[in-house]
Amino acid sequence: MTPRPTTLRMTPALAVLTGLAAVGLGLIAFRFAFGLGAATNLSDGYPWGFWIGMDILAGIALAAGGFVVAGVVHLFGGHRFHALARPAILTAFLGYLLFIFALMVDLGRPWNIWWALISWNHYSPMFEVAWCVMFYTGVLALEFTPALLERLGWERVRRLWFEGVPFFIMALLSLFTFAMTGSAQWTGIVLAILALWETLMRTGVMRRDRQMPVLLIMAGVIFSTLHQSSLGTLFLITDKLGPLWYTPILPALFFLSAVMVGPAMVIVEGLMSARALGRRPEFDLLRPLGRAMPYLLALYLVVRLGDLVLRGAVLEAMRPAFTTAWWWLEIVLVLTALAVFATPELARRGRGLLLGAWATVLAVVVHRCGVAIIGLDVPEYARYVPAWSEVLITAGIAALGVLGFRLAVEFLPIYEDEPAAAAPTAQAVREPAVAPAPVHHRIPVGG
Amino acid sequence: MRSLSRRAFFQTGGLAAASAAGAALAPEVAAETPAGSDLTERAAQQRAMLFDSTLCVGCRSCEVACNEDNQLGRAPDAIFQGRPAEDARALAPDVFTYVTFHQLEEDPSSAAFGKVQCMHCIEPACVSSCPVAALHKTPEGPVVWDGSRCLGCRYCMMACPFLVPRFEWESRNPRIRKCDMCWDLQVKGEKPACVAACPTGALKSGTRAELLEEAHQRIAAKPRKYVHHVYGELEAGGTNFLHLAGRPFEELGYRRNLPTRSYREYTRPAMSTIPYVIGGLGLALGTVRWVANRRDEVAHAEPGGDR
Repeated sequence: MTPRPTTLRMTPALAVLTGLAAVGLGLIAFRFAFGLGAATNLSDGYPWGFWIGMDILAGIALAAGGFVVAGVVHLFGGHRFHALARPAILTAFLGYLLFIFALMVDLGRPWNIWWALISWNHYSPMFEVAWCVMFYTGVLALEFTPALLERLGWERVRRLWFEGVPFFIMALLSLFTFAMTGSAQWTGIVLAILALWETLMRTGVMRRDRQMPVLLIMAGVIFSTLHQSSLGTLFLITDKLGPLWYTPILPALFFLSAVMVGPAMVIVEGLMSARALGRRPEFDLLRPLGRAMPYLLALYLVVRLGDLVLRGAVLEAMRPAFTTAWWWLEIVLVLTALAVFATPELARRGRGLLLGAWATVLAVVVHRCGVAIIGLDVPEYARYVPAWSEVLITAGIAALGVLGFRLAVEFLPIYEDEPAAAAPTAQAVREPAVAPAPVHHRIPVGG
Repeated sequence: MRSLSRRAFFQTGGLAAASAAGAALAPEVAAETPAGSDLTERAAQQRAMLFDSTLCVGCRSCEVACNEDNQLGRAPDAIFQGRPAEDARALAPDVFTYVTFHQLEEDPSSAAFGKVQCMHCIEPACVSSCPVAALHKTPEGPVVWDGSRCLGCRYCMMACPFLVPRFEWESRNPRIRKCDMCWDLQVKGEKPACVAACPTGALKSGTRAELLEEAHQRIAAKPRKYVHHVYGELEAGGTNFLHLAGRPFEELGYRRNLPTRSYREYTRPAMSTIPYVIGGLGLALGTVRWVANRRDEVAHAEPGGDR
């Protein structure tokens, strides 16, 4: 495989990103040298703040594109979206790596993180979060591996990977189930379900995906579902959250908003990265995503408002206060996105798509920050306002992410039009999911 | 805001209970989580403390004793500076207990006192929330912290309804700090340092059953002297630290209107759905994949049929 000509040049945007990343890393060093108190405005009354809201809750929501697209392409038969899968998985993988990095900055004693593996407390939502992070990052790494192996041209490793991954996934999900329930019965049930599908595929009763082990994608969707919702579960135990945000269905709401923001992120990334890299956006793929958006947005809105009504907290949304305004901001953003995506004249055009997608992304960020920052109220303590250093560290970590994405796009086969340009085959363009197959004639389909 | 958000918290409790009933179908998970009454029975024989506000004169001997016994390193002068505190804010990494001071409106020359320290809940929110079980409820009753496994995630601080755990914000290796009811002394059969130091008998230690009975007897013996409520009997599912007072507890800086269910109950419904989600998605996603495949095959088998 010949190295492609580089297109990476130092542009003003790249310089700004590098600068932000450098400042962020410097402040992180400061935080580790002098403690969390020196770099943040957190207090004993507000022990969680900007980082939990932005880096962790919002960051994980924005990485949801990975599991939504991977699920649509590899499980729901949306082969035509295949070109979107790799960029989405890459963004999710990078997002999770950054999230782990940000978490290490936020944790007071990050060097003890390995205790989460052996010291189990399956009552703790944070235990679930920790395991989901570890396992889903592992799954994302595995989903991303083919791109790497393709680039290196290691065909045999790739076949080994394909054969071995399903068994690894069975072990992973069984262990996870056991850790979360302490129940051998449940562990057995989960293992049996996974083994059933794998057996059906190996005996040829059910068709295999020749590119991506089905079990791997299933595990990604399962871990994502649990991770997104467990971030909501975290806040169920605290009585510091206001009635506009606290609801027993917070886990479901977090999952719904993740599914809603997944396609929106893919649209944003598709349009923005196309602009930055000078490629033509995949309009024929992004438009159908936009057509799904009104349903997802409407569902979220109905659940969000219906929950408020059922809990009798509607009047709370009428009280003049900053927190109320924040809640309205979220609702207005959802309504904006809904209006844009539901208007064909707007949703057809790149600008309209981008506007609707941004409104959706912002709505989810506003909701998650509402839960983690704005909605918290501990009357005994002075209200928490993030320190500039907290904001700059988050900005620096985000800048690192964009730089990482740029580098990966540079050196790895992420976008399909590039290899297609090198060796254009009509088949590869028409049906990429099954066709581009150095593998497909070597792996026996039936047992 | 406070009262509203608290009320909403209880109302949502009803919904949570409804979904908990659904989740109770879980065969092993539900059976394994101890029912509240069993825990309360076990707690009856555990070590506990009783604070009687009507006997407290605010001398703060308990604070000095706590400071010395736990080697918190504050000079006695420092303890008596910076008065008066009214609520839990005065707790700090080097302050495990605090006597709060409340001037009486009807008699400004007189005052009443409250006491702030870890309540050692029967089913503590901090223990339930800790991802690595660094905080745990000992069989003897005290809730203690094991620093070797703590991640510093501060979820315990988010969870605790009494705002007790403290974090060393300025430290490179920050610890979670709070009262451990002198666990080391209690397993040797000695009294907690604060109880031993109290000159008026406002603090007393014993088993929870003994102290609860005594508290109710004191109220019954002098019904006009006491508020007819033992703080900690039911709060947050019950605590091993019980309080009596002659004035409404909220006047003495105590958080009122806490739920009588333990805080673990608020996350339990969601946590017990996990195996259903894994199993259910495992079945559903595989089925979806199969259906999608069949649809493709059928479409490909018919020439001219697109998709």
